[in-house]
Amino acid sequence: MRLEKCWFCSSTVYPGHGIQFVRNDAKIFRFCRSKCHKNFKMKRNPRKVKWTKAYRRVHGKDMTQDATFEFERKRNRPERYDRHVAEETLKAIKKIDKVRVDREARHHEKRMKGKKAQVQKEAAKELEQSIHMVKAPAVLQKEPSLTLPKVYQKQTEDRMVE
Amino acid sequence: MVQYNFKKITVVPTGKDFIDIILSRTQRQTPTVVHKGYAISRIRQFYMRKVKYTQQNFHDKLSTIIEEFPRLDDIHPFYGDLLHVLYNKDHYKLALGQINTARNLIGKIAKDYVKLLKYGDSLYRCKSLKVAALGRMCTVIKRVGPSLAYLEQIRQHMARLPSIDPNTRTILICGYPNVGKSSFINKITRADVDVQPYAFTTKSLFVGHTDYKYLRYQVIDTPGILDRPFEDRNIIEMCSITALAHLRASVLFFLDISGSCGYSVAQQAALFHSIKSLFMNKPLIIVCNKTDLQALEGISEDDMKLVMEMKAEAMKTLIGQGGEPTNDEGVLLTMSTLTEEGVIAVKNAACERLLDQRVELKMKSKKLNDCLNRFHVAMPKPRDQKERPPCIPEAVLEAKAKKAEQAAEKQKKLERDLENENGGAGVYSASLRKHYILANDEWKEDIMPEILDGHNVYDFVDPDILQRLEELEREEGMHQEHEADDFEMDGAELTPEEQEALAEIRKKKRLIVQQHRIKKSTAESRPTVPRKFDKDKQFTSERMGRQLSTLGLDPTLAINRARSKSRGRKRERSIDKGNQNGTDDMDVDGDQPNKKLRLRSRSLSRSRSRSKSRPPYEVVPGEGLKDSAQKKKAIKLAEKSHNKRNKDARKGEADRVIPTLRPKHLFSGKRSTGKTDRR
Repeated sequence: MRLEKCWFCSSTVYPGHGIQFVRNDAKIFRFCRSKCHKNFKMKRNPRKVKWTKAYRRVHGKDMTQDATFEFERKRNRPERYDRHVAEETLKAIKKIDKVRVDREARHHEKRMKGKKAQVQKEAAKELEQSIHMVKAPAVLQKEPSLTLPKVYQKQTEDRMVE
Repeated sequence: MVQYNFKKITVVPTGKDFIDIILSRTQRQTPTVVHKGYAISRIRQFYMRKVKYTQQNFHDKLSTIIEEFPRLDDIHPFYGDLLHVLYNKDHYKLALGQINTARNLIGKIAKDYVKLLKYGDSLYRCKSLKVAALGRMCTVIKRVGPSLAYLEQIRQHMARLPSIDPNTRTILICGYPNVGKSSFINKITRADVDVQPYAFTTKSLFVGHTDYKYLRYQVIDTPGILDRPFEDRNIIEMCSITALAHLRASVLFFLDISGSCGYSVAQQAALFHSIKSLFMNKPLIIVCNKTDLQALEGISEDDMKLVMEMKAEAMKTLIGQGGEPTNDEGVLLTMSTLTEEGVIAVKNAACERLLDQRVELKMKSKKLNDCLNRFHVAMPKPRDQKERPPCIPEAVLEAKAKKAEQAAEKQKKLERDLENENGGAGVYSASLRKHYILANDEWKEDIMPEILDGHNVYDFVDPDILQRLEELEREEGMHQEHEADDFEMDGAELTPEEQEALAEIRKKKRLIVQQHRIKKSTAESRPTVPRKFDKDKQFTSERMGRQLSTLGLDPTLAINRARSKSRGRKRERSIDKGNQNGTDDMDVDGDQPNKKLRLRSRSLSRSRSRSKSRPPYEVVPGEGLKDSAQKKKAIKLAEKSHNKRNKDARKGEADRVIPTLRPKHLFSGKRSTGKTDRR
């Protein structure tokens, strides 16, 4: 029993799920669900389809090369069973996972760095440029702060009095 | 077996037939239709195919000829020589060589013309090229025609050659012509050879088969040999010479002691001596035939001497064989084919001698085991009743006993027995793990998980995984330290009020965009009405006031101005103002010529709740008419235009009638092509 990777979206295919397609040149394509299968039949390139891992990797949204990926490699040589090795491996898998997740988070942070400042700059600019939509220029001259003006209340009582 | 191939050689057609066959096949098996309107590549392909097809066929047929005719060097030398004798080796090889050359030439022609055809630019040219190619190929075959005829003759003759197996037991009969060889073979086999009084009745080799001691022997009858020098011999004699030379057989030299063959004993003896070199290593038997005419004892002294000489020679071969020199019975025999006296004896003797020789040879060779079943092991007869068991030394006995013990110990308990003990096939499942070779036997029953947290555990298994993990964690530690140094500067943040303002701005922008999108989508069907006629009452002064006040401005001035500018209101105010002020500047009546209109407008402006329909002559702005006079005129004109039709009782616009609201042909039936989704 093995967990495979979906050819289209690169998510894991658990046993009992998905479809395998074997082409005439004996290349096997595994899909996790019919969405991926149908996209494949439409001849869509996963590198251009936004929600796939392939796209994310190619466009630098997710990290591509890392030491943690080297740990998980399909080795075709069978190893003799050793209880200690098995124990260590199981423990190691958890640690490696943690490390990988941390690294991915760091990658994401690095990617998003500077976004905050950019957003603030843009907001300030927008506010300055479009303030006339909510505050009349005359009012702005009197009160130059970039805030909402006080809504003018009709002084009917005053008028009556007058 | 080589001999059978001679009968299976395919017929070699004559030159003309060959050409006819190939050309007619090309005609039949390749496409025949081509027009000059076809694409040039198609035309070229058409003709190239014809040329190639013809060449291929020629090639195939010539190749079969070349391959099926035997190569004189590859077959048994007996046949090689026989064929040489019959059909001259050189001529034969030449003929085959010519065929080979023809094949190559045809191949070259085809190649050249195909190359030319690739550049043919019209149908006519391609066709001429093809005609030339085929023509040349046929000329080649025509030139080779004589060789083909020669090969055909050879083939026919070869098919009739006797099927002699050069390796099996053979008895060869030779001697002068007319001594009784063919009669002998007729007697001992089922062959039916011609026997006639004239010499050279037998012109070629004949084969018969006979049995002796459950073995089959082939008996070969040869044409008679004359005593001549080697070079002078004709083809027929050469046949027998060849047979004598190449076949490992026992030779029966026939001697006619009566002289009725026409040749004296002396001549026959001379012949014998001249060909005795051919008898080397062959069991030789001298057979004196026609004893019914003349018994062996009764011949003259000289003849007897000659016969004895021959016998001596024959004895030499016997000795050379390694047989007993005492037995000279099998060397010189007498018989008479006419009375059948001694015929069987002769045959037996010949077979016996041959058998002995072959057995000797086989024993000397490595093929002994094949013959082992023909040997007979003699068991000694018991002399007395004394027991004489084999004598085995003590040490050997002990060793044997020990071995038997070990074997009994190692008697494994089979898995099958185990299964049967524990409940049979369906109940017991064998533990396949018990033979595992592990570092620690306790681990044999361990179950290792295959999947953990969405990973395949086997992909991570690595002897030095710990070490690499350690490195990884070290790296990770370093990264984390560096990370602590990075900070994000919190730039100028907007105050909450400013954020509010921004939110408002964005909302407004969104609304504008939304409205624009709606307008855009309905633009085709929406009428473009000027702002004065807004059905939804979007442009009221109240609304304007509200919007202005949200912007922070005082709207009263604007509202007043808007009201003052609107028509209904304006009239009312001006009348009031006129009354108030008492000025006559405002010419009320001048503006409104019609009293009715004025009153009406006032009532309109005053009371909005009562809905009144417009009088027909009132001009609605937007209609396109100048004033009510014009409108009245227009109405009159329209009425006039349909008076006549009404008078004539013609159907007008109001008389439109639909005879059937739901006609059947529109609401039922299937379509011949297409869908019936809408009706």
